[in-house]
Formats: sequence, C-alpha cells, structure tokens
Amino acid sequence: MRKNIKYHLSIIFFLGMSFMITSCAKETPGKLSSELLPLEGNPLVSFRILLHVGSVNDPEGKEGLCQLTFSMLASGGSKNLAYKEISKKFYPMATSVGLQVEKEMSVFTGSVHVDNLEEYYTIIKDMLLDPGFREEDFIRIKTNLLNFLEKSLVSTNDEQFGKEILNLMMYEGHPYGHHDAGSIESVKGLTLDDVQAFYKEHFVQGNITIGLAGGYPSAFPLKVTGDFSVLPEGQTPHLTLPEQRMPEGLEIVIADKKTPATAISMGFPVPISKADDDFFSLWIAVSHFGEHRQHLSLLFQKIREERGQNYGDYAYADHFIQGRRKFPTQNYCRQQQFFSIWIRPLANSNRHFVIRQALRELKKLVQEGIPRERFELTRKYLLNYTKLYAQTLGERLGWQMDSTYYGYKDVLAEVQERLPKITLDAVNQAIKKYLNFNNLYIAIITEDAESLKDALVSNTPSPITYANPNMPKEILEEDLVIQTFPLDVLPEKVRIAPASEYFKKMGIPRTN
Amino acid sequence: MAKFISYTLCITFLLCFPLIMHGSDILPYDYKIEELENGLKVISIPLNNPHIISYYTIVRSGSRNEIEPGKSGFAHFFEHMMFKGTKNIPRETYDDFLTELGAGTNGYTTDDYTCYFIVFAGRDNLETVVKTEADRFINLYYDEAMIKTEASVIEGEYYSSVSSPGRRLSELLRYTAFEKHSYKHTTLGYLEDILDMPNQFEYSQLYKKRFYAPDYSILLVAGDFDHDQLMEYVRKYYGNWEKSNYTLVTPEEPPQTKAKRAHYDWSSPTLARISIGFHGPTYSDEKIDKAALDLLAEIAFSRSSPLYQKLVIDEQKCRTLSASFADRRDPYLLVFNATVKKDKDLSYVENEIFKELEKLKNEPVSEEVLADVKSNGKYSFANSLGTTDGVASSLAFYINLATDPGTVNKLFALYEKVTPQGIQEITKKYFKKTNSTVVTLTGGKAK
Repeated sequence: MRKNIKYHLSIIFFLGMSFMITSCAKETPGKLSSELLPLEGNPLVSFRILLHVGSVNDPEGKEGLCQLTFSMLASGGSKNLAYKEISKKFYPMATSVGLQVEKEMSVFTGSVHVDNLEEYYTIIKDMLLDPGFREEDFIRIKTNLLNFLEKSLVSTNDEQFGKEILNLMMYEGHPYGHHDAGSIESVKGLTLDDVQAFYKEHFVQGNITIGLAGGYPSAFPLKVTGDFSVLPEGQTPHLTLPEQRMPEGLEIVIADKKTPATAISMGFPVPISKADDDFFSLWIAVSHFGEHRQHLSLLFQKIREERGQNYGDYAYADHFIQGRRKFPTQNYCRQQQFFSIWIRPLANSNRHFVIRQALRELKKLVQEGIPRERFELTRKYLLNYTKLYAQTLGERLGWQMDSTYYGYKDVLAEVQERLPKITLDAVNQAIKKYLNFNNLYIAIITEDAESLKDALVSNTPSPITYANPNMPKEILEEDLVIQTFPLDVLPEKVRIAPASEYFKKMGIPRTN
Repeated sequence: MAKFISYTLCITFLLCFPLIMHGSDILPYDYKIEELENGLKVISIPLNNPHIISYYTIVRSGSRNEIEPGKSGFAHFFEHMMFKGTKNIPRETYDDFLTELGAGTNGYTTDDYTCYFIVFAGRDNLETVVKTEADRFINLYYDEAMIKTEASVIEGEYYSSVSSPGRRLSELLRYTAFEKHSYKHTTLGYLEDILDMPNQFEYSQLYKKRFYAPDYSILLVAGDFDHDQLMEYVRKYYGNWEKSNYTLVTPEEPPQTKAKRAHYDWSSPTLARISIGFHGPTYSDEKIDKAALDLLAEIAFSRSSPLYQKLVIDEQKCRTLSASFADRRDPYLLVFNATVKKDKDLSYVENEIFKELEKLKNEPVSEEVLADVKSNGKYSFANSLGTTDGVASSLAFYINLATDPGTVNKLFALYEKVTPQGIQEITKKYFKKTNSTVVTLTGGKAK
C-alpha cells in the first residue's frame, strides 16, 4: 500500500501525561473559558462548546425552555443561513452540530476534517452567536419536542421511561425534578420570545467553555475566543441546590400500561460525586455490584446468568449515560448525584421476585461488604477498563472538560493513581456510609399495577418457574429464600397512574 | 515505514489518518491476509499506536443462515451460548480473564454474520487472548440445562425491545416483502421460535458443527502487534480446528410481481410510521448497481435532499425521513423510512416518496449534487477510522461481505464511476411499483 508520513500513526498520550498536550482551562468570572487539546497532525478537529446552563435554569412554568432554546441553535438557522441551507453546506463535509442538554450542563458538539475547518466553523459560529430565531424553525422544533413528550417517551422505550420516572421521584420539588424536555403543558406555553429571552440571559461569556481538540492551526483558539467575546460578559448566578430528599422506606411509583414486560429502576441520592475522595471507593463497590453491561456485575450474574430472567441488571454510583460501545458519555456533570439499579424488562410474572432479589442482594452488599477476591478483581478491572474510556477525539476532550469540572487535571489519571491505594476496608466503609437497603425510590412500568401493589404490600410469596428442569440445587434453595424475602411496603407509599398521564404536567401524576 | 510523530511515553487510541481526498485508495493502512490449512483466514492490520489491540472473530453466519422453519433467531441465540466457556476454561474463568484484562468485549449478530470482539491493552496479552479465544471457538461446551436458562435471557432481550414501534415495523416489512429467503425474519427471530429455544439443544450442536468452523470464520486483528508473532500464535492455537465443509444454500427469493401492503396497529400513542421496501441487488464491489443505489439514497433522502427539506423542514409533515440500502450477501431490500406527525398524512408522504422516485427516473441529478454525495461518503468513512477499534469495527462489516478489506477501496472506486445517467438507469431498474412493499404503523389511544 501507499506509504506516506500522513498515513502514519501518532503516539499521543492517553492519560494526559504528555508534554505535547496542552490543557488550558482558563476561567475568569464572567468571561469565556477554554479547554484545549491540540494534537498536531491529526486530521480532525473536535468541538465541544459547553454551557454551564441546563434544565435547572428553566423558569418555573417554562420547563423545557433550555432544551428548546439550545435546539433552536443546533437545529435552526442563523441570521445568515436558513437551516436547510446549513444542512446542504454541512452535507459534503459529513458533519453536523450535536446537542445534549442536562440538568446543569449543555454542550454543542461537532467534528470536522481540517480540510473543512474554516467553512464549518464559520457556519457554527453564526448558528451560536447570530441565531436566526425564525418562526418556522420554532414551530418545527417545538412540535418535535411535544411529539417526543406525547408520543415517544411513554410508549416507545420503557427502559428509558422507567429511568425518567425515577428522576421525577428522587427530585420532587427540586430543580432537578422535571424532564429536561419539560412537560406537555409547559412546552405548549413556550413562545419564541421566551426562547430569545433565555438566550439573551444565559448565552453569555461566563457560562461558556470553548472546547477544542485535534489538528487545528495554533492560532485557531484565539480566533474562536475572539469571536465569542462579542457575547456580553457575565454569568448565570451559581445555583445553590436544596438538599436531596432521601426516601422514607420503599417509595414506589408504578406506571400502568399494557405490556408483556416489566421495566424497573430504583435508587436514591448520594452526597458525593467524582470530586470526592470517597467516590473512588464507592466506584469499586458499585462496579462489583452492577458494572454496566459487563459480566463482572453481581446483579447480572445472579439475575441473568444464573436465572435467565432478563437481558441485564446493573448499578451505578453516579448519573450514567451510555455512549459509544458501552462507555459513559461525558459532559453530564452535576452537583448532586445518585445511586441507581437498572433492571431490564422481564416477564410480568417474575417482577415481584426480581424486585425482591435485587433488594436482597443490595442488603447483602450493605451488610456483608465485598469479599476480598472480588475487591481485587474489580479494582484490577477498573484500572484496565477505564483506559478504554477516552478513545475518540471527542471523548478525550469531553473527559478533559469533566476533569476540570470535578477539580482534577485528569480524572482518569486519578483512577490510576488512587485505586491501587484503596483498601478493602475503605470500600466497605464507603458502602456502609453511602448505600442502604431500606430506603429506596422504585419506579416500575408494568401492567395490572394494582395486583403488583397488593402483592408488594401483603408480601405475598412470589415463586418463579424455569424452563430448565435441572436448575442447580443451590439456586432453587436460594429462590425459596428470595420468594418470601420480606419487603416493608406501605400502601400509602405506592402510587399508581396510567403511563399516558406522565409528562402531561410537571411532577408525578396524581394517583388513583 | 511508520514513524512516530512524537516520542512520548504513554498510550493512545487516536490514529492519524491521511488527508483522504488526495489518494486513490480510501483505506490508508497496510494489511496482510493469510489462510491456515483448515481454511481459517487471518487479516492483520498492524497499527503503530502503542498497546491497543482489537481482536475480532467474524463468523460468517447470521440470521441468513437460519434456513429451516422454526429456527429463526438461532444465530443470535448461539452468540449467547458462545460465552458459556469450555471444559478447559469454564465460563467463570473466562469472565475473570476478561475482567482482569479490563477488556472492552462483546458479541453481536447481524443478518449475515456474528462477530465477537475483545479490545485490550498490552501486546504481552496477545498470546493469552489468542489461546483463550481459540479454546472458546474449538472447545465450546454447554449442556442442555444451560441452553434452557439462556433461552430465557433471549426472551428477556425480546422484551427489552418490545416497546419499540420502529422495531415492530421493521419486522413487518421483512415478513411481508420476503416470501422464501431467510431475510424474512430479523436477527432476534419470531417470538414463537424464541419460546421454543429451550428445546433446541440438539439443533444447537448441529448449528455449531455447520458454522462455528474455520472455513466459516475470519480473524481480524488490528493494533499494536507483530504480524509474524500473531501468525505463530494463531497456527499454534487454531491449527487443529476442524473444517465444517458444510455448504449453505439459502432459499432463492422469487421475483416480486405485484405491490404488497401491510399495517400494524400499535396499542399506545406513537408517531405514525411508514416503510417502503423494494427488492434490490446484493453487495458488490464489481457490479455498479449497488454502488449507484447507495449514492441515489443519499441524493434523494439525506438531510440535504430536496424531499427531506420539503417534508421535514418546510412542510413539517415528517419527524424523520431516511433511506436505508443495507449491504447484504444476498439480494436485500432498499428501504425508505419516515415517521409522520399526523396519521392522516401517511398517504401523502407515501405518494411523495413514489413521486420522488419517478422524478429521478425522468431527470438526471446534477453533477454538483453527485459530487457532494461522493464527498460525504469519503469523509464519513474516514471519520470512522479514527481509532484502532474504529478501524476494526468498520472493516469487520466489509470483511464479512467480501473476506478482504480491499473491497472498500474497490467500492469507493466504483462510486467514482457513477454518473447522473447511471443513477437514472438504476432508478428505472429497481423502483417499480410492482416491486414495492409498503408497511405502516399507527398509534392507539392512551390507556
């Protein structure tokens, strides 16, 4: 094949240890900050224009406004170009502008070949700094948002639906307590004037971090920051969040719908995040208990591998969004975090059993801690697996920005530094300190919700059967314990509403 | 040969690939192909980014190979069984091995092939990976009880997707469009066949014997390793894998002679959906038909196309509009998909899609638009090659089709030969109403 220096592969640092990579997160209150990852010779340039603004900044009664406003920038026209013209110009470059909006952080993403950097940047600069705010874009994007709330969220993906209900439960009356897309009622009331006012208020220098990675010319960051300096100085005041409310006992919300399978999510707030020392110990514990989509997960082994109940069962020490392959996505940082368990859909007939089983495993984790060999295995696993987290240009830049948020130079390097020093005792102490098995929020999507409620409240035995007539004796013996494992469910702590009632208005629908 | 851009100490995943627009080949890396006596093909792509290796085993058996009644979904089911271990390396030991390695690992099943991958750090681990994977493929062991338990997991996987109307529509389209070919069903299979999987122990042994054999498999290894060293390990550990010598004959799909139609009533509220499928050609890097169709799909239905702009942006009748002309080893479907905001607009959108196809038959597309589409294709493919695993995962698909990564260069060379007149001719050839299948789905009332 052809040989050319351009074809050859660069050795670039993964752990942020290279002198070649310049990380310069600069921050002056009220002014732009930037996060740079120059990689000379790389033919791509990755953008992450990050705003420290999210759905917590939605005004009361106007929930969904942040999502709608930023969607108008990412999927609408600029003053210079209508959106259809932008689409046509992006097309030959095989590029676009992506957007993710979350509680306290939103990010516009893009990636382009250096051949096309100037043309691409000129377009996105106008989209973000000189948006068109056209009525036709507004109608299209608002309708899409309403369609998502009315017709997609509750009827096309029960796994996601369950996670969203869990969020509503954990944060009732809290700034996190609404879907990032708002409610049908709130979005219907949003106007183009609201969008423009939100943009004017929040799209200001102090809220923005310019993230750039790749083979851009050395003068390029200065050009970008110069362009973005036309925005007014200032920043949205830092939001002091109320304390997270811990559940009192088992608090259950069931969305009732016709379905052959039950989706379950459960969890509770935790007072730590990656910024805290204890998080790394908790990370080991929860990885052992339920590493996302890995055989390592104890829940996966007990529920799926041993009993074939469903496709997978996992647990998370903080807010987790799956990205490329099975790795976490970046730029979902937030001040307050939560522990959660995700039980993927399973036959309705086995729902009570599996709820019992998950809670029983959680109880055992809290009471007994992690066995030493599992501690050693999980620690070794995390030390190696986290090396795979930041592979693409965009991922590396994203992790660098998250590192800055949590107060590190490189949070993944921090894993390599800290995990070898963590003791089993520290992990088990973190489990005792931050996890519990008596107080959880539990979100369930299922049919015939009343019968599940009755069974839960009355602790009805919930035996299950297997297609395999030769199930191992130890599993059948354990099943006898699980099927009568007592759960302290009070009837007044179980709320049921038809699935279709969710997201019509703010909060959890009023119950029967 | 390769030269480091800088002399640094640590590892990276990023590859520095060439400015793609100036070469004759789209694929910028050297690769080697060797074949063992037992028919196992090994494709190696050494890359000079330190430490990372992507190790892929491509078994050229997917749901296409499920030719017997009652066996739909079996390739996918067998993929699950491949994680059950051997007598030498039981499942728990295998899991612990991967866990300690901290590897990114999984398997997936498609219409035409099943793929298993391990992405890991450290060339020192290569021999153990080769040895462990060889043992898994040659000596897989499970008993009837394990089959029964895993069948329940498949049922659970079915439930994970059961709330997706898009998936249901895709099933309906295949079921309606195909009469005989095994593309009639999806990789997950029919529910009745999934429910019968606990009883399929004997068939699973037959399936293994037929397809999990060196003459049906290809190893693809990309990353930081030495080719000769790799081959030494492969010969050592895979050398005694026995050939299958089984010849698969997929049922031939008879030509479609009249338009077909089907509808599905979704039980809860959802956006209306329409899919229109036409029987198309098989993948080829020599015949120009499929290459021209690929470009047509982009010209007429990508986000920059006039029809997308009309239906999604201007009139706002559709939430999405796209074309999917998937490459398959046997003739497959050319599919147009749309989600429609109001049920009453379904027929309008259907007519607009047919009208667009008629227009393409009568008017040649502009050279400028065709050039834009070719440019998009090159940049899109180049972007997918940005990391070691990006190289392996992108090429695995093409290697399944043609058993040689060079097919990508031939395919992109074919794209360059496509002309506006060629697009016009190909539209006339394939997009006849009698060759179409239209399926629709509408939502019901909320409970």
